[in-house]
Formats: sequence, structure tokens, C-alpha cells
Amino acid sequence: MSTLLVMKEQLQVLYAKYSTYITIGMRLILGLLVFGLINSNIGFMKAASSGLCTVGLAAVCAFLPTIIMILAATALILLHLYSLSMVIAIVAVMYFFVMYIFYFRFTSRLAWLALLTAVGFALKVPFAVVVGIGLLGTPVCLIPAVCGAFTYYMVHFVKMSSSTFKDGSANSMVEGLMSFTKQTLANKEMWVMIAAVIFCVLVVYSVRTRALDHAWKIASVAGTAAAVVVCVAGNVVLNTHISYVVLLVGGTAAIAVGLILEVLFLAVDYSRTEHLEFEDDEYHYYVKAVPKVAVSVPEKSVKHINERQDTGKIDVAQVKKQSAVQNRSNGKVGRREQEAKSADEILLTRSLNKELGLDDPGEEN
Amino acid sequence: MLDKKRIRLMAKMSAYEKKHAKEDLRISSYYKKDYASLNTLITVLWITVGYAILAGLYALCNLNTLLENLTITKLLLMIAIAVGIYLILVIIYCVFAGNFYKGKYNKAKQRMKKYYRDLARLGKMEMKEKK
Repeated sequence: MSTLLVMKEQLQVLYAKYSTYITIGMRLILGLLVFGLINSNIGFMKAASSGLCTVGLAAVCAFLPTIIMILAATALILLHLYSLSMVIAIVAVMYFFVMYIFYFRFTSRLAWLALLTAVGFALKVPFAVVVGIGLLGTPVCLIPAVCGAFTYYMVHFVKMSSSTFKDGSANSMVEGLMSFTKQTLANKEMWVMIAAVIFCVLVVYSVRTRALDHAWKIASVAGTAAAVVVCVAGNVVLNTHISYVVLLVGGTAAIAVGLILEVLFLAVDYSRTEHLEFEDDEYHYYVKAVPKVAVSVPEKSVKHINERQDTGKIDVAQVKKQSAVQNRSNGKVGRREQEAKSADEILLTRSLNKELGLDDPGEEN
Repeated sequence: MLDKKRIRLMAKMSAYEKKHAKEDLRISSYYKKDYASLNTLITVLWITVGYAILAGLYALCNLNTLLENLTITKLLLMIAIAVGIYLILVIIYCVFAGNFYKGKYNKAKQRMKKYYRDLARLGKMEMKEKK
């Protein structure tokens, strides 16, 4: 856990240092995913579905606000649909127009969530994105998430039944208009998944805003479970065909994302929770204070054991002089040491002679 | 010599000018009530268009069912239901849009006020420096 927290701190430092480049990089990745998925799924117009177009669009959108990416993605979808059938393009324009009128006209700040949700659905991990929205956002974020899910299913439906909608006569055009509208709106799987998204976000949001210990973990698990239950119920009651493998993998990914987000955005130590109670003139307060886990990044200090010193130019004569002086001083020290040693020896022999009675008697007297 | 306080202030003001100034100036040219009413009216018009599209799509989906055994009473009932839903939608969006645009106006005004205060502070700093 402490390693994760250290990593988080390092990430924060890194982001603070290179935030501009990281943001552009993330936009580029999102752009590549969005345009790549659109082109690989409904690339009916050959010129627009090339890799060059995907990379070019992503590169341009990386430097512009996210709303431009959304507009570019919408235009690309419409272009591909138009090259398949004008009828489908007309209906798609109407759908996008309704989305704009009822939500995106008011605020385009959260519009990128629609892209992210659609990408999540395309990568078969829809609940991972949805759990993230529930943990970090508000219930208002549901609207772009639902729009993203709707767009994904519309594109998915076109991909699955593209051969049916290839242009025909004027009569078949009206029929096509009716059948496409009917089939996109009567897609049971889409409505089940939209219901799952709504339930998941609401459950996650309502649990994580409670004053519970480990609220984020419980919210992630509960939200994922709610979404899976809705999908399974849809499969049983409405006879839809949502893959259980996708549910399992998506659910696991959603819980993993929830845990990662908790480490990144809410690192608290529940073991040191404090319950406070106080009052003022108007209210009585019951406060639960959970301390944050603060880990400072260990600073690396490099200790040079064999540190190189700048010697500069070596003056041979001076070195000789120095060594001579050193030798001389060494010689003095040696003599002194020898003298000290001999004095010790003399003292020792004298004391031994005294003890053993070997001294001259004349000397004693 | 560089004045850190002044640089900070100028950076803050420049960020505001880049991000919000243009829109805030436009919003501030209205009275609060006028701004909210005008935008609510525009919202109602958009909602009408959106509702017409939605109703059209629904009718397109269920054309056969709607036209089956069509009588004048049934037609009137359908029109009444459609108008009823439209009115409910318009009322909901009017309340929502009214609050939304009032909030937007307040925020823009606050930001403008802060910007002018910063501008005055900057002017004082420059005057001080000249002396």
C-alpha cells in the first residue's frame, strides 16, 4: 500500500511538472481510440477510414478542446453513415440533434464523458467507465454517459445490419427510415444496458457519499453488482443476449478501476478515524474525521565514495619538494617512535631487574 | 526589479481574459432578469424543435399502430397526450433553464467584479512604482 501511495505522489509530481504534455498525450490516446474504433467498425467511406485519417484527426484534436473531438467524431460517424445510406444518416443527425438540444446546449464541459462511455462499451468494459463516473462525478454525469451508450449501440446496430440498409429506390427509402428508427429504438439490449448504467451510477454515487468506512470500495462493488444484476435480469426477462463473459470481465475491471481511483483520489486511514461531537447556538454536530494518509516521496541522495578531485596541472618540482618534506617529517616521527620504544624497553628491563634482584648491590647503595 | 505579486496578479488576470472575459462581458451587458428570460425563451424554442423531432421519430416507429382503427376521438386523445407531454417538458425545462441561466449570470458577474478589483490593484501598484 505504501508503495502505491509513493507512486501516487510521484505521479502527482510528474503531472505537475509536465501537465501540458500529459494532457495532450491523453487527448491523443482518446482520439486514437475514438476515431480508430469508429473507422474499424463502420468504415464505409474508404478515404475517411484510412489509418492516416485516424492518426491525423487524433493529432489535430489533441491540441484542441475536447468539444472539437466530439464534433469531429460526430461528423466522422455521419460521413460513414451517409456513404452507407442517406436514410441512416438523416436519422442519426436527428438523434445527435436531440442530444444537443436536451443536454449539450447547456454545457459542453462534460461532453467528453459521452466519448469515454462509448469507448468503454466498445472495449467491452462499460462498467469500468461507469463506476469511475459514479465515484468522481455527480448524477448529472449520467446524461452524457447515457448519450454515449446510445451512440455506441446505434453504431453497433449499423455495423451488424449494414447490408440491409444499402440504398434502394424511393419506396425503400421511407421503409428504411421507419425500420432503422424502429430497430434502433426497439433494441432491448441497449435499453437494458442504459438501465444498468443509470443504476450503477446512482448506486455508486449514493454509497460513496455516505459516511461509511471504506465507502469507495463498497460503492464500487455495490455499483458493479447492481449493473450485473440488471443485465442478468434483462437477459432472463427480456431475452436479451448480453454475454456473461463480458459481464464478468467488465465487472472485475470495474472493481479494479474503483480500487485504483480510491488510491489516487481518496487515500485515507480508517483506523485513525475520530468521532467528534460539539454544538453551537443553532446546531449539534456529529463529526466523523478520517485522516488522510500522507506519504512523502523518499528523496534519493547519492553519496560519492570515490569522488574524483580536480587535480589540475601537476608541478613535478613542487610534488618532489612536498614528498621530501613528508619524508623528512616521517623520518622525525620514526626516530621519535624508536626513541619512545627504547625508553619503554629500558624501563621494563629496570623494573624486571629490581623484581628479580639482578641489580648490582653497589649500585643500590 | 521583478515584482512577484504583480506578476501573479497579471497572470491571473490574463488567464481570466483568455478563458471567460469575452462571454462574461457579453452576459454583463444584460440585466439579470432579461438575460435569464431571453435564454429561457430560446430554450423553449429549442425544446419545441427537439420535441417535434422526438415525436416524429416515435410516430415513424409506431406508424402502423397509431393509424390502426383511427377515429376522431382517438386522434384527439393522441393530440391531447402529445400536448400534455410537451407542456410538462416545457415547464420542467423552463424552471431548469431559469435557474441555470441565473446561476450563470451570477457567476459571470462575480468573476467580472473580481477582475475589475484586480485591475484597480494593478493600477495602484503601477502608480506606486512610478512614484
